[in-house]
Formats: sequence, structure tokens, C-alpha cells
Amino acid sequence: MKKTLSILLVLAMMAALLSGCSGSTAAGTETPAAQTTETPAETGETGESAQALIVDTKILYEADDSMLNTYTLIAVDPEAPFTDADGNAVSDVAVNTAGADALIHWMLSREALDLAAGYGVEEYGESLFYLLEDAPVYEGEIAAATEETRTIRLSTTTSVNDSGLLGYLLPVFQEEYGYTVEVQSAGTGKAIAAAQYGNADLILVHSKSQEEDFVEAGYARIVDGFDAERLSFIYNYFVLCGPSADPAGAAACPSVLDAFAAIAQGKYTFISRGDGSGTHTKELSLWPEDLGITAEPESFADYTDWYISANAGMGACLVMAEEMGAYILTDKATFLAFVANGGQA
Amino acid sequence: MGSAAERALELILSGDRELCNILSVTARMSLASSLLALLIGLPLGIWLGSCRFRGRGALLVVNRTLMSLPPVVCGLIFYMLFSGVGPFRQFKLLFTVEIMVLAQVTLITPIVVGAMESYVSSIAPAVRETARGLALGGGKTLLLLMNECTYQICSAYLLAFSRAIAEVGAVSMVGGAIAWKTNVMTTAIMQYTNRGDFSLGIALGMILLGASLLVNLAISLLQRGLSR
Repeated sequence: MKKTLSILLVLAMMAALLSGCSGSTAAGTETPAAQTTETPAETGETGESAQALIVDTKILYEADDSMLNTYTLIAVDPEAPFTDADGNAVSDVAVNTAGADALIHWMLSREALDLAAGYGVEEYGESLFYLLEDAPVYEGEIAAATEETRTIRLSTTTSVNDSGLLGYLLPVFQEEYGYTVEVQSAGTGKAIAAAQYGNADLILVHSKSQEEDFVEAGYARIVDGFDAERLSFIYNYFVLCGPSADPAGAAACPSVLDAFAAIAQGKYTFISRGDGSGTHTKELSLWPEDLGITAEPESFADYTDWYISANAGMGACLVMAEEMGAYILTDKATFLAFVANGGQA
Repeated sequence: MGSAAERALELILSGDRELCNILSVTARMSLASSLLALLIGLPLGIWLGSCRFRGRGALLVVNRTLMSLPPVVCGLIFYMLFSGVGPFRQFKLLFTVEIMVLAQVTLITPIVVGAMESYVSSIAPAVRETARGLALGGGKTLLLLMNECTYQICSAYLLAFSRAIAEVGAVSMVGGAIAWKTNVMTTAIMQYTNRGDFSLGIALGMILLGASLLVNLAISLLQRGLSR
């Protein structure tokens, strides 16, 4: 008797769990936009509750022209020379071109550009992203979602997603036009690779050289209403951060290149993302050339006493820099969020 | 740790909708994959444990090797197979819960098989003896064997479930950790860690352990009831 009772109990529990899940997911698909809008507010709250901690890492160098960080939208071409893992050509890759067009059209509409430029003022007291003066603007019609074009796969970098920009913009788009945007975020290198494996309809990345390779390899497509594959529209600055005591004297250097040279000269600890992200690519371009630091591990094998290749996300690297009193290159948006969280660790 | 515990409580009490979604996706994925793995692994394990035939040793070695298949490699294989350029692209399964379950079943089934095989092979001779003494047929012998295994079956299921709920390498590769769709507890913890928000990561970890505790309690009660 006891046996059957306990079996029934467990079965009932599992049934309840499973039906509860499917019930809540059904509810979830009805109002995805409404739910997503709640996320930024939620992160804001948690940030305030931990404000008591003081962050020692501070911005030492910013707004230098060589630290420009430009974000670019690129639509994926379904006719691109896709190849499978063995290098064989693949021709029938499914890419939602109509959806990608709609999202790009909307992102480059006046409405969305203004929203993006104003993002962050409320939370951090300053804009996290600025509009490029020559950003392409779209003024035509934006197609609404149909059954086939509803799901848009956007492959992007962690900085856009983690700064909360997409969580702020996309719900407006989804509500107005009925699309569902599935965002996968990874470092620029991986984000581009996802598109090359046919797993994204468009990419939003920030590494000019990698973008140009992508276009040159034939993966990009010109969207109606524009005349180039790479649609650069917003930018901000990379910032060089370090301990407030600044032992390398980076803040006093005439240019950021000198600051990097000073860090290398004095062998002050530096945290590198080391993950092929846009930030990593940028950092590699700032070291004095005679050091020969590249993405290859052998290239910095001699510098391991001060050059730390973390192979981690921006936030995790910032925590590391704070702990070790190290210098670090970061995008400003992630740094501001990090400080607002009180160096949350 | 204190602030993490506070945040965990806060999150649960506030009924945060994203957290609810993550929890439900996690429950759906880990229950489905552990049950499927049990369904496949149980007969295989009993067969391998109770029958003696040529090639059984080789099969065991293969199974034990599969037990140590790194999750991230399993994820990578499924990612490549179901990619937009992969051979199974027409199924459009990449970045869905279904493919996460598929990858998990691949990872967990060998563990269930291994656990059942080692137990069954230790009791099979005695059961066979008893069955012969009682002059039982093949079907009844199997039932007797199953009855002797109930405790072990529960343990094997728990093993499968805990693997499924705690796994991160494979599910983050094939699921893509897409918010409101394929983000599970472990991938969410990874995300917060990458953002540098460690305490929220620990808070989610505590909730995950809590959920796992509930399932473990239920199954352990069942186990006790069955073996009495």
C-alpha cells in the first residue's frame, strides 16, 4: 500500500512540475515583450542595493581617438559561400532575410537611433553610446512580422548585451512589429563564427578588421535602402582603467599608446580578455610593436609575470583587475555598470 | 555569501518572471532528459549486466569511455551537426530545448547504463539461482530481477537527474543561453559570472541546489517506500 502511495506521490509531483512548466511557458510566449522590459529595471534595483562597496579601479584614459569603439550591423547573405566542418560547400542555409531587414531598418530609424543615444542617461547620468555623425538613417516602411519571418536570430557581442542596450531597445521593436529576436551573445570572434555556421540572420559587432574579413569572405549582404554591407551606427570609447594610485603614470601620458608602453616598460600587471573579442582585438593593437603581442599564446609567453590572458568576459576580467590592482582595457558601458554595482563580486 | 543568500531569497519572494522562466526551462530540460536517459539506459544496463555473450566486454569498454565524454565536446558535436551548415540543418533544432535534451541524453545514458550494469552483474547469479530453484520462466525471472533492483533504479535516476540539472558545457553550446527560451540555471549563472555579478550567480546557485534538494527528497522517500 505504502509503495503504491509513494509512487503515486512522485508521479503526481512530476506531472505537476511538467504541466506547470508548459503552462508558464505558454504564458511566456504570449507577452515576451512585456517581460523583457522588466529586466533592465530589475538590474537597476540590484545595482543600488550593493552601492556601499567602493571600487578602486578607475578610468585613467578615455576619449582618445585611437580608443574609438564603433558598433556595426551586418546582414548575413543566404547565398554566402557557407561550408560545413569538412569544407564542403552548403547551399541551402536557412537565413531569415526579411526579419533581418526589418530589424536593421528599425535599428537605423530615427526613433531607434534616438532611443540608443539616450540610453544610460537615466541610470548612469551619461549616455553609454553616441550616434555616429554619418550613421545611415532609414526612413522607409518597416515590414511587420509574418509566420515565416517572426523569429530573428541576432548574434552579438557581450558588451552590447551586458550593458543592457538590447534589453532596452528590442522590446519596443518586438511589440511594434510582432517579431521575436533571439539574442546570442559572445565575444566578437565567436559571434561572427556563429554567422559563418549559418546560425544567425544578422550580427552586431565591434571589430573593424574582423568585420571586413567577414564581408570580404562574402558572408555579408547589402540591405535594401543602404549602399554598404557594414552599417556602423553607434560608438563609444574603450577606456584604460587601473588602480587609482596609477603606479605606471598612465593618466599623465600624452597618448594612450604611451600609456600602454609605460605599463609594459614597468611590467605592471595587465589583464587581457584573451578571448578573441572586439575588446581583445583592440587591446592587441595598442601594445608597442616590438613586444610582438598577438592572440597567439606563444607571443606573450615571455611576459606572463605581468601580462595575464584571462580568457573571460568583460565583467569577470574587471573583477580580476580590481582584486589584483591591475590595468585593464574595457568598453566604457561595462565599466560604468561595474562601478554602479559596487565592483560586485 | 550573506548578501548572496539575501538576494536569493529576494529573487524567490519577488517572483521575478525571468527567474520563473529560467526555472521552468531548467525543470523541463532536466526532467525530460533524465527520464529519457533512464528509459534507454535501464534496459541496456540490465541486459549488459545479466546476459553473458561475445562482445559484452567490448561494449562495456565503449560505454565506460562514453561516460567520460566531455560535455563541451558533446555540445560541440551536436552544434556542428545541427548548425545552419550541418547535415541535420533541416530539423531546425539548434538553440531549442529539444536539442539540449538530446545532448543531455547522450551524456547521461552511459552513466545510467554503467550504474545499472555494475549492480545487476553483482546480483544476477543469485537471482538466476533462485529462479531456477523456483522453476520460473524467463519473463518472471526478469520481473524478479527488476524487483531486486528498485533501490538501484531510484539511485540511477537521481544520478541522471543531478547530472542533467548541473550540466553547463553542452547546454550552453547547443542552447545558446537565449533569454526566455533556452537559458537554464547553469547558463544564467555563467552569464552573471561573466558580467562580474558573482553574488547573483551564487544566489542562483543556491536556488538551483534548493530545487535539486526537493527532487532528491521526493525520490529518496520513494526509494525508502519501495525497498521496505
